[in-house]
Amino acid sequence: MRKVLFLSPLDNIAVCLSDIAAGEMISQEGREVTAIEHIPRGHKISIRGILKSEGVIKYGERMGHATTDIPVGAHVHTHNVLGDRLSTEQV
Amino acid sequence: MSAPQLLGYPRSDGRWGFRNHILLLPLHQALCNTAREIENSVFSAVAVSHDWSGEIDSDFERIAKVFAGIANNPNNFSTIFLTIGTETETKIIERSRVLGATPLHVLSLSDSGSMAHLLTSAIALASQLKEAANKESRVLAPVSAIVLGLECGGSDAYSGITANPALGLASDRLVELGATSILGETMEILGSEHLLAARALNPAVGQQIIDLVARYERSINYEGIDIRGAQPSRGNIEGGLSTLEEKSLGAAKKAGSAPFTGVLEYADHPTAPGLYFMDTPGHDIEQLTGFAAAGVNIAVFTTGRGTPTGSTVIPTIKVATNTQMGSVLADLIDLNAGTIADGSQSLEEVGSLIFDKIIEVANGRQTKAELGAHHEFNLSRLYGSTL
Repeated sequence: MRKVLFLSPLDNIAVCLSDIAAGEMISQEGREVTAIEHIPRGHKISIRGILKSEGVIKYGERMGHATTDIPVGAHVHTHNVLGDRLSTEQV
Repeated sequence: MSAPQLLGYPRSDGRWGFRNHILLLPLHQALCNTAREIENSVFSAVAVSHDWSGEIDSDFERIAKVFAGIANNPNNFSTIFLTIGTETETKIIERSRVLGATPLHVLSLSDSGSMAHLLTSAIALASQLKEAANKESRVLAPVSAIVLGLECGGSDAYSGITANPALGLASDRLVELGATSILGETMEILGSEHLLAARALNPAVGQQIIDLVARYERSINYEGIDIRGAQPSRGNIEGGLSTLEEKSLGAAKKAGSAPFTGVLEYADHPTAPGLYFMDTPGHDIEQLTGFAAAGVNIAVFTTGRGTPTGSTVIPTIKVATNTQMGSVLADLIDLNAGTIADGSQSLEEVGSLIFDKIIEVANGRQTKAELGAHHEFNLSRLYGSTL
């Protein structure tokens, strides 16, 4: 059973296919990432460090930017990502 | 990359059909029931039903274009118009003749003298045409014969990571082999149009994509609806989608990563192979109807909740985004892409299966929607009614 889905080699996130517990190590397709917090199924985990204002890349495309520095293994969602154009939230 | 063996029906205008339908197209709501009765009497004839009864309002241009386009879809061997005998109907028939791809027949109630007589003569004509259609054999077709429609409906949290990107791989491969592929649903690309525009073959096409979304936004703002604040929805966010771009990218993934060759207005025909974006409503059936009028001859429909709809003339392949629905609704689903999330198959493997399925269905294999006689058709009215 695959735990995460890597969608493009350019991505700095992966999509979790099941709930991932804090401290859980994911070793898959030659990569290793340790979750630093709980990440729900269907949500994103950072597979590289992402600096504040840097693009969050999914499918090899920019889906928004980090609103804070995001370490490897973190839950990447509305609390630390904002869309570039249209968004439901304000910084 | 080797080209698959494809078998189809060559049409007089150079396009190809993958079905050989006798289409029964009533040009008035009052004749839709008659069309259905003919469909029930003549095996594999296809009837269209709608609620239009000849009103000439601001939608007439759009409606006439759709009727003329559907009548001339390359999957038709022949089209029979059923009419009351009005001038409005004559206008649509004349417009259909200009396209000139499909042999057209007209049976009017005013000439027949009675509904019963109209029905009898229509059944006789449809049977005779069916016999002629059955005598035609498929011949070897180039991959450029394929005009693929990309559609999703009843999306879920898996759509953007399983079925849509897998379909995108199949679409990319077909486009590379010289086929045409069309992405629709303007509402769905709102938020990622700048990313899609960056994939345009040239800046002019990129600008057309931007302009088309801006026009759509103006039209919904006119209706007093602001969808910016509503997307991604609360349910989307709970499911893990963080930004509108992310949601739109997931929908647009059906179109893979090929460059956009051009932009089409609703129901317009693509004129050269490649990947296109068409301005369509988000409503599934209206979108498929627009595709059919544009000459799409095969479609793939990804679904998370198991939308049962098909199309009047386009064989429509259903791809499930998750294994649970894919196994529960097996009589609706042709292929399960949920295996990508289960971990038993890769995106590339499922992309290949979708590609193979497209070829198999083009060559005559019936889809679940066809076996279930899903011949849905909807006329698209103004945007306000289609949200």
